This record gives sequence, structure tokens and C-alpha cells, in this order.
Amino acid sequence: MLNSDYVRVEHLSHRFHLTRKIAIDALKDVSFAIDRGEILGLVGESGSGKSTVARCVMGILKPTGGRVIYDGIDVNAAKLSRDENVRLQKERQIIFQDSGSALNPRMSVRRILSEPLDIHGLSRDREAREKLLIQNLDFVGLDPGVLESRPGELSGGQRQRVSIARALLMKPKLIVADEPIASLDVSIQAQIVNLFKHLQAEHGFTFLFIAHDLAMVEFLCDRVGVMSKGRLVELAPTRQLYDSPQHPYTKALLAAMPIPDPRRERSREIPVYHAPEYVTRQEWTRVGFDHYVLMER
Amino acid sequence: MSNLLEINDLSVSFDTPEGEVQAVRDVSLSLPEGKVLALVGESGCGKSVLCRSVMKLLPRTAKIKSGSIMADGVDITNYGERDMRKLRGRMFAMVFQDPMTTLNPVMPVGDQIAEAVRVHNRRISRTDAHRRAVEMMELVGIERAEERSRLYPYNFSGGMRQRSVMAIALASNPRILFADEPTTALDVTIQAQILDLFREIQATLHTATLFVTHDLGVVARVADLVAVMYAGRIVELGTVEDIFYDPRHPYTWGLLQALPAWSRGRDMLNAIPGMPPSLIHPPRGDAFACRNPYALGIDYLEQPPMFRISETHSAATWLLDPAAPKVQSPIHGGPHAEQ
Amino acid sequence: MTRKNWIPYLIKKLAIFLASVLALSVIVFAVSRLSPGDPLVSYYGERTEKMSPAERRQTMERLGLNAPLTTQYVRWLEGALRGEFGISYKYKQDVLDVIAARIGNTLLLGLPGFLLTFVLALLLGILCAWREESWLDKIISKAGTVLSCVPEFWLSLVLILFFSVIWRLLPSSGAYTIGKENDIGDRLRHLILPMAVMILSHLWYYAYMIRNKLLEEIRADYVLLAKSKGLSRGQILFRHCLRGILPSYISLMAISVPHILGGTYIIETVFSYPGIGTLSYESARWKDYNMLMVLCMLTGVVIIFANMLGQIINERIDPRIRASEGLEVPTNEP
Repeated sequence: MLNSDYVRVEHLSHRFHLTRKIAIDALKDVSFAIDRGEILGLVGESGSGKSTVARCVMGILKPTGGRVIYDGIDVNAAKLSRDENVRLQKERQIIFQDSGSALNPRMSVRRILSEPLDIHGLSRDREAREKLLIQNLDFVGLDPGVLESRPGELSGGQRQRVSIARALLMKPKLIVADEPIASLDVSIQAQIVNLFKHLQAEHGFTFLFIAHDLAMVEFLCDRVGVMSKGRLVELAPTRQLYDSPQHPYTKALLAAMPIPDPRRERSREIPVYHAPEYVTRQEWTRVGFDHYVLMER
Repeated sequence: MSNLLEINDLSVSFDTPEGEVQAVRDVSLSLPEGKVLALVGESGCGKSVLCRSVMKLLPRTAKIKSGSIMADGVDITNYGERDMRKLRGRMFAMVFQDPMTTLNPVMPVGDQIAEAVRVHNRRISRTDAHRRAVEMMELVGIERAEERSRLYPYNFSGGMRQRSVMAIALASNPRILFADEPTTALDVTIQAQILDLFREIQATLHTATLFVTHDLGVVARVADLVAVMYAGRIVELGTVEDIFYDPRHPYTWGLLQALPAWSRGRDMLNAIPGMPPSLIHPPRGDAFACRNPYALGIDYLEQPPMFRISETHSAATWLLDPAAPKVQSPIHGGPHAEQ
Repeated sequence: MTRKNWIPYLIKKLAIFLASVLALSVIVFAVSRLSPGDPLVSYYGERTEKMSPAERRQTMERLGLNAPLTTQYVRWLEGALRGEFGISYKYKQDVLDVIAARIGNTLLLGLPGFLLTFVLALLLGILCAWREESWLDKIISKAGTVLSCVPEFWLSLVLILFFSVIWRLLPSSGAYTIGKENDIGDRLRHLILPMAVMILSHLWYYAYMIRNKLLEEIRADYVLLAKSKGLSRGQILFRHCLRGILPSYISLMAISVPHILGGTYIIETVFSYPGIGTLSYESARWKDYNMLMVLCMLTGVVIIFANMLGQIINERIDPRIRASEGLEVPTNEP
């Protein structure tokens, strides 16, 4: 399953200590790879570890075990060359769920967008920068008029677009989106998902898309990984996963997905799912083309 | 069938430093006994405010500007805090969105339910109230209730907390239950269980439920009747079949079409362009007009009245006026019809 | 908490307590000896100036002040473990006797003052939260802020000026009128002004905290649920909100022991009230080493003990703190 050289997540583990005695495994031996130009979805319930994966991939969080290789560079290596550091910082960008709080409320959109450019000393020429900002706002479907606004004056959808524009300014190659649509309204969610799809198709961005809305993931992603209790339990191309889920948790998750059709929705029984404790030894098993499941040995 | 709750032309506004926010505008709604009515709409459309204004749980800045609220035939529009207190718990009860924050973290769950039992009946002894609390916990599907009644909320998972909140809400046998996005903060696999619990309780206790949600999938599972709200108004009202299989308002079309289920196999979702208007100075005419591809000239000038389509179904769009051009609904027969 | 966990828990707390006390004694010892000043002055008074260097050396030797600091400390510690804390240079008596004679006065002033401050602050805070943004709340808030900005000694002087000098209603100093040692009414009259200063200068600080914490609780989501049950505002405030803030208030009480204790010492000095406060002021000023050590240790022990007590009470009330201490394993079940 590690068939790509672009982003490789290898045996990632992370353990939080609540107290000296009680520890929680937020991640346990998670491995997968992301191909260049694909949208990989990660789904799972709250606390399943999907955000922890995102943070490890971004290098915000140092895992207690395993490693993340971005295009040949070990993200958490103790010593990186200057060049590698700059590449890691520019080429990977993250978008958070609550864009409202991720943007400084006292800065205008212009300053929010200019800041990363200043840090990296990019496009210092005034006119060129103005053009760049407007071009990026256009990318995400915002009017140049918002440049002078502050985050508080924008709607949730607009703020999320500003965060995306800020991420795009660095000309990233990999975008990690951690629940980017969860706090948005239904009609706005569709707009943002369309935007992601457009960015991938037209500009070749690679996405790690973390969400709990299974229907949106089905629509947007090329491949989907399912996480439960810190483990990656199934990974497959989207159609395959949704048509023939193998792991009991994936099955339960898909069965619980509400269908917006009253007659069909009411006639079906949704089985109650009890998460197992994963005490037995589990092993990755290939069950179909590019389709892997965590199974008991 | 009698209507337990009747809301007539209700308008509710908030005073803010930026101006008066007209959160609910001329809403009329009736909730029959033993039914679940889902209020659907985007955030800020006034659906939560509508619920809370019936129970008078709004902050002091909110005011009922006009209209009336009748609960079981009694006009409660001008009820003060004292009168409302007698109704809360017995006539109305409410289940809130986030079960992580709606339970008191430093009080055992059983005590919180027992408290709700004793509010309206001081003659019940503490032990009897506790016994009843345990019964309520069993009713909402919490196993080993006796033992768990002594635990604190932080010992409970999200699903169990929401069940506990329901136990509190049902403790004094309310006739009307308000549920404000009760499954939004829960995991998908738990959501279905809680929704089924709502329907079960509906069937056994015959409570009427006003269920606020933004999720049409949830509506499909739980609702008998649906009211679609946009910018403070109800734009379409009907049975769940009316709304899903024969919607008439362009906003309802937009909401349904924006679901991924409607765009299977296509490149892009059918997003509704633009965003909802500000309610400080709501636009003249139909608030949805500027996002509506089917908007007519009159939409920008005059608010459409509720047009009656059938006994159960009505919608506020000029497209239903006899003089309007005939528009083919983009929705026919449910999302999977094309497969 | 189960009984089984109690014993190691208490042992752990006791160990922390002893270690803190030991560390404190080292610090106080070092600081008092290293700061400038002549301890002989407190013993011999004016006579010290006339001493010859040889005489000086001899007396220093006799008082054990010539040995290296570490030796002095070890000697002190040995004595302390036997319950002997030496004599006061100034009073030429066993320090414990001097303190014993005075501690009653301080307790009489400090304990009721401390409890009254917190009870009144609680009531005032609840009142202000209950009537949030009313004129009553606004007036109390303004007056309280002004009062808590006034230094204690100044407030004392103003009160003395009015009540003792101008109106001649209350005595301005001492613990009792000479010759009336056993007259309770006279003692109480002497207590009024110092206690008033003590309460007034701290009251609003805590009342304001209660007010804001309560308002924060009142805006919490669970209040909405409590309200929708049909509970009245009073029931919600007293049964739900107060329960949420009491643990932090109690630990605040414990933590503020030094704050208020320090204030008491100043007040005692201003009112020439013969208590521990005046004693510690004198002992620090006159380098009465043995006295200073015992007083600092006493104060420190009270503070450390109060803090630990606050923590223990907190753990009893708030189940979440109990869990984070590892005394109870959270049972998170579906």
C-alpha cells in the first residue's frame, strides 16, 4: 500500500498521557501513502485520530512513533537543510475547521494574506503583490473588495475561502484540510467542495481531506481511509469502499449514513454497532485492487 | 386531530449594536399531537430562535414584536417568567445540541433527572424521585441505569449524555418536545440510534416534537411534517413526502440538489450560489430572490404569500401564482431516480 | 474515592508537606542571616554601640552566631526537632512563650475577619450577579473597586481619624484598655476598627470574582437545560451555578491565606495590636533571629497547610479533578 513516493505515512503512533498512569493511544501503527494529485479522504468518528494524522503530516505534532516522509524528506527529522525546511513550509499547507478563530480578528484580509508572503520574502513588488492577491481571491471565488475587511465582517463561508486563499498563496503542492466544511451551512459546503474539486482538476493540487460527512467524502475523494480508535481499519478507492465495505466498522459507518429519501430511509433498519477493543493482533490484508483491511490474524 | 401548538404571524427581533435583527418574521405554524415537525434551514435562518421564543428561553435583548403563541388552546404570548416556569418541563421540554455542555458537570446525572421529576411535584420524596430517574434512564435506553445514575456526565459518552438529556426532558411528561439539532454533535453511528429513540418515544408517549435540524438526511428519518425556513420566514410547509418528492419552492429545490446524493457521477455539486442575506435590513420582496435562478421580477418587489398546494402542502413563491410562467421542478422522484 | 487509595494518597500529601516546610526553613534561615543588620542590638539595645570588639566576639560566640551558617542551621534544626526554638533576643524569653502570649489576639482578629470576609464576599457576589447591571450592582461595583484600591494603612488611618479622633467612638490602638483585660465588651470594641479594615480592603476583590464567575456560569449551556426543566432563577443559581464555582472559591480562599495574613500583620502594626503581626514586624526589624524563624515557619506552615486543604476539598467536590489525580479511573462507556 505504500506504492507512492509523494507522501508516506509509516507506522505512525501517538500516545497522549492524561496522567502519569493513564495514557491514550491517539494513533496506533497507521500507514498509508498519498499519490501526487489525488484527494485522499480520512473519515471516522470524533476521537478516532484523524486530526492527529493531519497534525503529524503537517509536522505540527511530533508523533511518538513512526514517521512521515514528504517527497523524500522526513518531516520530523532532527536536522534538515535550509532548503528542505523551506520546501516543507511552502509546499504543505493546512486548512482548519474553524476558520473564524484561525484568522487574526484584528488583521484585514490584506494583511492576513500578505503575512506569509512577508515571512518568505515573496513578491515584494507592490503591484505584483496586489495582482497576486487578487488572483488568489479570484481562485477561491472572492471579490477583491474583501481585502480591506476584517474576519469578523465576513460570513463563515467567506472566511473559509480566505483561509484557502492564504494556503494557496504559497503555491503549495499538498493541502491538508481538517474538517474544512464541518462548520459551514449546507449550501455553502457544496460551494467549498466544488472549489476543492476545481483546484484539484485544474491545478493539480494534492489533498488530504479529513471529514466526518461521508456523503461529501464519497463525492469528493479518490480514495478513502477509515479510522477507528486510532487505527486505520480500511483503505480503498472510493467506489470500492462504498460499494463493498469489508471492515465491520466501515460497514456500520456507511449503514448509519442517512439517506435523504424518507421512504427508503425509514424502511431500513440501522444495526447498532459496538466498537471492538482491538485486543487481538491485527494485520493488514489486501482484499481487492488497492483495497486493504485491518483483519484479525 | 388537534393542534397542541399554534403559532400565528410571530415576529421576533433582537436588539444588537448594529441594529435590529429580525430573526423570525411572520411565522405561522401548527404542531399536531403525536407528530414530529422538522424545522429545516441554514444557520441564522431563525429556526432555533423560533423554538426558544415559544419556551421564552431567549436572552433579554430578544422581543416578540407581533403575533401569538397558543399552547393547548391557551394564549401564552404575554406570559411572564413565573407563568412560563409552570409550563416548562410539563407543557414544553427541550433537548439541546451539545450534550457535552448541557449537563451540569458537577452533579450526578441521576440527580439532574430527579431534579426535573421534583420540579413540578414537590410531594415526591427524594428516593421516589431517584427511582423515577432510573426508570427514565431505562426508558431512553441507558443500560445499568441504577449504577450509572450516580455517575457524573464526564463518565458518559456523547450518545449516553444525549440520552440523559432526553430523560431530563421527558421527566415531567411534557406534551411538546423541542429538539434543537440534537444529533449534530454526535457521531454518525450514534445519530441513527438517537433518531430512532425520538420516534419510539413519539409512539409510546404521544408527545408532539418540533425538531430543528439542518440535515435533510435526519429529516428523512425522523419527521412527519417539514417546515423549510429561509431568512426568518417559512418558505415551504408540508408532509415529509410533499417536501422530498414534490417540493415547490426554489430554495427547497436548491437544498435538496446541493446534497451529494443528487450529484452522483457528476463533476460538481449543485451548490446554491451566494449566501443568505443579513437580517438587520432584510431585502425587499423575497429574500431568496438574488440566489434564485427562477426569480421573477415581482420577487424583488413583493413578498410572496403562502400558496396552498394541497390540504397539507403550501409554499411561499410567486412561481405558484396562476399568472406565473410554468417552471419544471428539477426534483422528480427522489435523489436516486436517475440511477 | 475508595478507602484503599486513601492511605498512599495521604502519605504522598504528607511527604510534600514536610518537604515544603524543610525547604522553607532553609530559605528563611539563609535570607534572614544574609540580610544586613546587627542581631546584638535586639539583645542589648543601645548598649551594643559601646561594646568593644572583644566583648562583641564573646557575646556572638555565646549566642552561637559566629559559627558557619551551615553549622548554625544544623544546630537550629536539631533544636527545632526537639521542640526547642531558642530564646527571643529582645524579650529574653523562650520564643514559644512570647508567641503563645500573643497568638490568641491574632486569632481573635484574623479568624473571624477571614471567615467574615469570605462569607460577606460570597453574599455580595451573589447579590451583584443576581441583580446584574442594575443600579445596585453598579454602585456596589464602583464603591468596591475604589475601596480595594486604597492601601490598608491609609484606610486604617482614615478610620482612626474619624472614629477615634473626631467622633471618639472607638479606641484607636491596643487589644484592650489597661485594667479591663477581662471585659469582653471592651475587647470587642478594640476589634471593630482593625477587623473593619481587614474586611473592607479585601471584600470586593473576592466578591467581584464571585460575581463574574457566577455570571459566567449563568451563561453556560446547562443553565438553559435547567431552565427548560422549569427551575426558577434562584434554584438554578443556588443549586447549579454555585456548585460549579464553590470548588474554585474554596481553593481561592486557601490560596489567599497569605494575602490576608499579610494584611493582618500590617493592620496589627498600624493599630499597635499586640499580635503575631507586630511581633514579626519587630523581630524582622531588630534581627531577633530565633523569633523570626519561628514566626516565618509558623506563617509558612499555615499557608502550605491551607493550600493543601484547599486542594483536598476541591478534589472532594469536583469529580473531574478527582479523575485527573488518577484516584478514579474514568469509565467512558458507550
